[in-house]
Amino acid sequence: MELGLGAYLTFASVLFGIGAVGFLVRRNALVQLMSIELMLNSVNVVLVAANRFHPDNHAGQVFAFFVIAVAAAEAAVGLAILIALYRLNRNIETDRAHVLKH
Amino acid sequence: MLSAYLPVFLMLLVATLVALGMFTATSLAGPKKPTPEKLLPYESGSNTTGASHLRQSVKFYLTAISFVVFDIEAAFIYPWAALFRDLGWVGFVAMVIFLAVLAITLVYEWKKGALEWER
Amino acid sequence: MSDWLSIVPLLLVATSGLFIMLADAFSKEKAELALVTAVSLGTAGLVAVGLLASGSALPPLPEVLGSYLAVDELSLFFDFVICLGGALSALVAGGYLREHELERGELYVLIVLATFGAMVLARSTDLLTLFLGLETMSLSVYAMIAFRRTSARAVEGAMKYFLLGSFAAAILLFGGALLYAATGHTDFAGIGAKIGSGEVEPVLVLVGMLMVLAGLAFKVGAVPFHMWTPDAYEGAMTPVTGFMSVAVKAAAFAVFVRILVVALPGEEVASMTSGWPPVLIFLSVLSMVYGNVAAVAQKSVKRMLAYSSIAHAGYILLGLAAASVVGEPAISGVLFYLLAYTVSNILAFGSLVMIGSRGKEAVDYDDLAGVGRRHPYVALPFIIGVLSLMGFPPTAGFFGKYYVFNAAVQAGGGFVWLAVIGLLASAVGAYYYLRVVVVMLMKSPAEGQVVAVPMKSGYVASALAMSGAAVMVFGLLPSWALDLAISAAQKLIG
Repeated sequence: MELGLGAYLTFASVLFGIGAVGFLVRRNALVQLMSIELMLNSVNVVLVAANRFHPDNHAGQVFAFFVIAVAAAEAAVGLAILIALYRLNRNIETDRAHVLKH
Repeated sequence: MLSAYLPVFLMLLVATLVALGMFTATSLAGPKKPTPEKLLPYESGSNTTGASHLRQSVKFYLTAISFVVFDIEAAFIYPWAALFRDLGWVGFVAMVIFLAVLAITLVYEWKKGALEWER
Repeated sequence: MSDWLSIVPLLLVATSGLFIMLADAFSKEKAELALVTAVSLGTAGLVAVGLLASGSALPPLPEVLGSYLAVDELSLFFDFVICLGGALSALVAGGYLREHELERGELYVLIVLATFGAMVLARSTDLLTLFLGLETMSLSVYAMIAFRRTSARAVEGAMKYFLLGSFAAAILLFGGALLYAATGHTDFAGIGAKIGSGEVEPVLVLVGMLMVLAGLAFKVGAVPFHMWTPDAYEGAMTPVTGFMSVAVKAAAFAVFVRILVVALPGEEVASMTSGWPPVLIFLSVLSMVYGNVAAVAQKSVKRMLAYSSIAHAGYILLGLAAASVVGEPAISGVLFYLLAYTVSNILAFGSLVMIGSRGKEAVDYDDLAGVGRRHPYVALPFIIGVLSLMGFPPTAGFFGKYYVFNAAVQAGGGFVWLAVIGLLASAVGAYYYLRVVVVMLMKSPAEGQVVAVPMKSGYVASALAMSGAAVMVFGLLPSWALDLAISAAQKLIG
């Protein structure tokens, strides 16, 4: 059975939606970071699937490689910030961080 | 189409059978005389202390994150290696530049002390 | 070798970034790094402006680089603006770190890397380079905000910006992936041509375009994607705030211009009834009104400048929206605006650094009370910077606003009303800008309050002298910079 592009896009959109909702609903910065990674992976699904339907070059697959690499760098910087935050506050709940206010 | 994968499946099957066979054979053939000392977790002869769920030092984080970042960069080397001949000198020079940049970041990390375990 | 000519500024910044990394790792003397950074970035900026002013035809890039980077006058213009912002920020940071005994070389490395990312972003002609430039810039900036890692404000600002910034980047990327799925191209020109041919799924294009625009609107800090701006601006050290407000914003607007003009030019996506102009107008009006109104209520000058940067994003978006009708005059107005905004903002934030010293930074209005009478020489650059941000003639900021609003009026129709809204919002802006000036000149510090004592730093002083001179020169003789902007805009539209 051959799946159309629509099926892949639906799947990726569901993944992206789970990530986005997770980011908006959860207040633990680590979980929010994981949600962002999920969103980036849904992007990879779209890129690789779309490449199958536009096979004249490998733009989509190459792009997915870069997304993976950048996601790792992003996680490194993000975790470093979270550790700095944990050392100061002893928690990483985003709704408890409110030194900065109007 | 799928028949190309038949040898792989066969190899997996054989490997699983060999592993299972070894476990079964030793457990059947070996004598079993349990004593309290024998039932202890193996810790090279010393007594165990504390629970097995230890809190890890944050020092592991720095090493782990360096590993993740440098490890992912290796992902770029695989496709290059697979196409090494086709890419020719241009690909070679590009990869040398890429690795030089990585080497500089590694030197930076080293000199900044991110690789020191005890600080 | 001449193939590489047009990206020489970019290569200069890249190699100096690596060099500064090694210098930081092996040398004990950190203060000199500020000078090295400023000189490297300044040289790159001068090379860019030299190439631009010489008017010679730019050779195409070698085939290896494909179609990922643009070779045009627009990129050189932004190379100049971004390098100028980076170089001046590095000088201000040099003085700041020494005064506050925070001297670690990482900040200079991060400034150069962020500048490099911003230049790649401004030069990107492909979703891939857009993404890489954006992330190189953003990741460096997140780390720059968290640089003062024992300060709860800095780390909190960094975390909020990081989480929201990565979320926005993911949205932008998903939008980009949808555009690729719809068109089969990741390069802007290919996407534009395919959309123009009409053989695409319109829903995919529309959703993809909206997600890309939302991600970019986040980076420029336009309402309703502005939530991070005040916190990140206040949490960061003042030189870093200055850098964020100029280089990051300029690069994000550069790619905004390019993506709208090159990838989304056609009737299907760039008309008032469907496509991006109404979206930009919506963002623009909200940003102009909300940014100016919210800025009035602030106690902290840094936060006030953060909200004012939201308002400025609104004016620039108005110019971009007008570009859908009049083209070149609107784009050149936006370019000039960004140049004027860069020098004015560095002047304002640099003076804020200069007014404070160790143990007593100038952050709130109260800290500035009476500074103008006690230390007129540090108050003067701040006042010039603020007047330029306000759009007071004959500063650079005045002509920036004039060209953008003028383009909106030329566009006619509803845009005239938008220009009126912009002018009314600027009038609100004049209130809070002048209020700082009044506090500095008229008010006396409260009884028993620790007064801010200006620091002494050749680095900061020279950065202020240069940006102050630029504000006045671009204000009194705008034609030179405007001509460069016009030629860049004309070449882009073709």
